[in-house]
Amino acid sequence: MTFSSLVLTLEDSAEQRAGVLALLERDARITLGTPLEERWLPVVTETATPEEGESLADFLRELPGVRFLDVVMVDFSGGEC
Amino acid sequence: MDRRDFLKSTAMTAATLAASRLAYGQAAGPTPPVATGAGGGVKWNKAPCRFCGTGCHVQVGVEGGKVVAIAGDPKAEVNKGLLCVKGYHVGLALYGSDRLTQPLLRKGDKQVPISWDEALDVIASRIQKDPKGFALYGSGQWTIPEGYAASKLVKGGLGSNQLDANARLCMSSAVTGFLATYGVDEPAGCYDDLDACDVLIMWGNNPAEMHPVLFSRVIDRRSRGEKVTLIDIGTRRTRTSAFCDHVLRFKPNTDLAIACGIAHLLVENGTWDKAFVDANCAFRAPSEPATLQGKAITFDEYRALLAPYTPEHVEKLSGVSQQDLRMLAGLFGRQDVRITSLWCMGVNQHTRGTAMNSLIHGLHLLSGHFGKPGDAPTSLTGQPSACGTVREVGTLAHALPGGRVVAEEKHRHQMEDLWNVPPGRISSKPGYHTVQMWERFSTPTDQGGDIHTLWVQVTNPAQTLPNRHKLVDPSRKLADKFLIVSDAYPTETTRIADLVLPSAMWVEKNGMVGNSERRTQQWFKMVAPPGQARDDAWQLIAVAHRLFERGFEGMKDKDGRFLFEVKKDGKPVPIWDFQHYYDVNVDAHLFEEYRKTTRLKHKDLAPYEEYVKARGLRWPVVQQPDGGWRETRFRFSGFDDPYVQEGRDIDFYHSPTHDGRAQIWFNPYEPPPESPDTEFPFWLCTGRVIEHWHSGTMTMRIPQLQRAMPSAYLEMNRADARRLGVGNGDIVTVETRRGSLDLPVWLGGRGEPPEGSLFVPFFDERLLINELTLDAHDPFSKQPDYKKCAARVRGRAKKEARG
Repeated sequence: MTFSSLVLTLEDSAEQRAGVLALLERDARITLGTPLEERWLPVVTETATPEEGESLADFLRELPGVRFLDVVMVDFSGGEC
Repeated sequence: MDRRDFLKSTAMTAATLAASRLAYGQAAGPTPPVATGAGGGVKWNKAPCRFCGTGCHVQVGVEGGKVVAIAGDPKAEVNKGLLCVKGYHVGLALYGSDRLTQPLLRKGDKQVPISWDEALDVIASRIQKDPKGFALYGSGQWTIPEGYAASKLVKGGLGSNQLDANARLCMSSAVTGFLATYGVDEPAGCYDDLDACDVLIMWGNNPAEMHPVLFSRVIDRRSRGEKVTLIDIGTRRTRTSAFCDHVLRFKPNTDLAIACGIAHLLVENGTWDKAFVDANCAFRAPSEPATLQGKAITFDEYRALLAPYTPEHVEKLSGVSQQDLRMLAGLFGRQDVRITSLWCMGVNQHTRGTAMNSLIHGLHLLSGHFGKPGDAPTSLTGQPSACGTVREVGTLAHALPGGRVVAEEKHRHQMEDLWNVPPGRISSKPGYHTVQMWERFSTPTDQGGDIHTLWVQVTNPAQTLPNRHKLVDPSRKLADKFLIVSDAYPTETTRIADLVLPSAMWVEKNGMVGNSERRTQQWFKMVAPPGQARDDAWQLIAVAHRLFERGFEGMKDKDGRFLFEVKKDGKPVPIWDFQHYYDVNVDAHLFEEYRKTTRLKHKDLAPYEEYVKARGLRWPVVQQPDGGWRETRFRFSGFDDPYVQEGRDIDFYHSPTHDGRAQIWFNPYEPPPESPDTEFPFWLCTGRVIEHWHSGTMTMRIPQLQRAMPSAYLEMNRADARRLGVGNGDIVTVETRRGSLDLPVWLGGRGEPPEGSLFVPFFDERLLINELTLDAHDPFSKQPDYKKCAARVRGRAKKEARG
């Protein structure tokens, strides 16, 4: 099991932000924190492998409504080394 | 709480605090996301990232003797809890499947395992054969104690100055630029300038890929609604360009004309800061013969020298429009904005690197954009300790620790006293700079090739030196030339070595480094190195002791004691025996000795224990009346720097003219040593990518990074590709006068060279672009130019592009 801490910087549009939140809430691999100023969203991903975590981060980065993705922490104890 | 819950809650705390920092520019509370100490079986401790010169701090999670997690360190001012793609994978750099684990000696065509004892004997014998023909080539990835041990071994022990480092290839023009301008090396400002500037000018610089954490500090300000104007002045479009308000493309080598053009407009428009210049500056121009000090000139002479650099003339030379030149001059002429300049390899890897560095400093001085938060000319470094080790310890052929130089008798005597070696031990003759050192190593002994043995530590010159066919390969065919390489992984350089030594890396050893903003950082060993891999400093000390055992005079001090003697409870500790190396903290011992040298240039360092507590401290670190230690953010500025004379706003207290004044240089534009022509019609530029660090020795072994950027490529303009009849993924042959290389074409990638120019990254050891690059170098810094040479491209049908 691999955890990653991410921060998503969301777009200005309230509609786009709501869309992103609704999508993320449906993904069991993702735990959402409390958005700050409605724009900076703490996220923890929990995936079977680091590769899956990497793919998930790439997916989030490209989502409409996500302006920027910062990675804060990566745990790779469960994956390839 | 089980381990999963612990890790998850730790991860969420880290993300929440980072979000808070992004939203408000600071953490909501003081609690770190990952507390130092045990929890869920993972033990966390701090370390600076292993890779670039930014100096981000990470929290390293260790479990079962292995690094299992990496987090951005929320206590670190540099990165405020964030990391780049390389940083958050840094732990995996330790665990490539092919780590070097035992010494290997070349016997015939093979490298065969030998013992450390035999390896030390081999090296000691090579040195004893002719100590003056032995050279040590190190790195800006040497830790501070490692570099100091290297300097003491070569300069204090062998009495030669055949010591140089790969920072010669990346930072030495910045050094000479600082020396020519301020009389002392390293930036006055710091990263805080990025939080305060209104305008950020990036000169041939791509921080979005090369220093992404620093760049994100500025982008985050914009996300919070602050206005920061970003200006990209470069020779190709990069990821940085996409964020910029103004993107100015110039013809290679004409950056000097642009800088002169801005200065010309400031002078002619009367928008230069006369009060600042009158109080703090003098004018200077190149002398005949050329020296780093040049000659003093008057303001009127300066103005006359700038006169030809009219907007019309500069536009013609550089390709930058008159409108953009006037825009830049207009910004520099305003006193209501704060301007920070950033630059790195684009300005430094330049046959006119010293001149261009001086010109950027000069623009800031002439316009008074200096010494206030946000107003700073700041050169960035590429390696984690190019500043801390190479520039401050002084692991260069002409240098001694603490800003001293071998040419100064007083400096030599100071170091001989500190090292307790006989007067005259340190040679006054500088050793060979990097290009010369390798030239001599690759030249037959009877033809003047007087370097017979070269020991490389923590760098990969067979991949990173320019014009490898000339500087490296010939030595491999000369029977009496012996190459020793210490590294963690097999590299292009270990493969051609006569003796390979396995090295411990990063948190497998204690360490200290110094980043781009004068910040000295410390970490402790956290995990054991694999097999027989050992610390680089130990390797140096063990060789010194083997020579000492053999009675080599240089390894004894004046009292007959071992040069690297370390005592515990009054008794010498046998640190040359690796089993006892960690009986004491050798790093702390070497650092405390080195620290005594740092006052001369007012680069004061605090005691070792202060760095254990901090996420780095920026020098000068000066003790306060209450016994505490205070770092300095803005050097030469009266409001912050304790060495500024009382009552002065600005004081350049190491002025080259000894009058408190910095020098505003005029340096003319000159054509490059090699330009495109009918035979080789393209400009070729080389550099890095965000996923890989330098020669890829570490990052190409991190699966996530290797997958993200698996191989080198050739970027070219679509119009050139059309003319050549090649498309994305096609293999083409790139040729220069020095070599050729087959590469896949990448069109519309992250960078976009203008028509007539090419870009190739140098991280890929299977595609060695430095077989093609030029070894021409700056006359003062001796730094080669990797950014421009003439090339041609041939498609598979052997068509030749004619630009």
